[in-house]
Amino acid sequence: MRKYFYILMAILSFVSIQAQLKIGDSIPNLQLMNTKNEEILISSFKGKLVLIDFWASWCAPCRKANKKMVQLHATSYNRIEIIGISLDKDRSKWIAAIEKDKIKYTQLIDPNGFDAKTALIFGVEELPTTYLFNNEGKLIAINPSEEQLLNLKN
Amino acid sequence: MKNILIILITLFFTTQSNAQIVKAEIIATGLTCSMCSNAINKQLKSLPEVASVETDLNTNTFTVTMRPNTNISPKVFKDNVEKAGFFVGSLVLYVDLDALENYINIEKKELTAINKLQIQILDKGFVTDKEFKKLTKKYKNSETYLSNNEEDFHFKVIN
Repeated sequence: MRKYFYILMAILSFVSIQAQLKIGDSIPNLQLMNTKNEEILISSFKGKLVLIDFWASWCAPCRKANKKMVQLHATSYNRIEIIGISLDKDRSKWIAAIEKDKIKYTQLIDPNGFDAKTALIFGVEELPTTYLFNNEGKLIAINPSEEQLLNLKN
Repeated sequence: MKNILIILITLFFTTQSNAQIVKAEIIATGLTCSMCSNAINKQLKSLPEVASVETDLNTNTFTVTMRPNTNISPKVFKDNVEKAGFFVGSLVLYVDLDALENYINIEKKELTAINKLQIQILDKGFVTDKEFKKLTKKYKNSETYLSNNEEDFHFKVIN
């Protein structure tokens, strides 16, 4: 009997770790390091639309998507706050990729791959994955399409 | 006399159960970037025989370290990679010499290693389709290789 209880507990704890952000959830209060080694609270960007983009320097589809992010940032930086969160374990590769892709928006890092705490809390299972929060800090879309993002600007 | 026999039998079975895959290196293929997904990693980690999974981003390789004294069939790696939505492009195993009793040494290279051997599994589903086509030509004289029996594993020694 006790054995079943433990098994049940194990399953439950597994499920809770797997819990991912759902539409309507708030931006988690997480502090991450930026390129200047300053701690940034990701929930501090409320008041604007916030687009959180999970990526890594070694992820080819992410690097391709970065080009579009850079464009989006150039055209709508006053309406959408883009925050890149890299899961790179190697900080120097992250910095090099930011320079190469000419990224000007906020860049943070949780250097632990898919095991990174931030990735687990958001429920990131593949890269890239983006999360769009409204100006009250509530999640309104996961992986919004380009069209969806363009419409937001109007 | 009887005791010795018992000891011998026990020894035989112990070494048998110790015969094992120590480590596996998997390169996965598919339509999307295999390293950009957590699926393979998670799938492999969920196996009771697996102690840890590490990823090498330069070679796109998943290195799977097995728990001691566990037996696992190469098919388990294939099935789980496919469950995650990818295919095995290459599977290299680090094995004990006596773990290979049931495997087919297709190039018949003499197995001299005292300790661990590094072998590549060459059967369908363990190499890319393109590679498999090449290998079916190369091993056209091997009846077992061409028969594609899921229970038979053919290997070549890498190291």
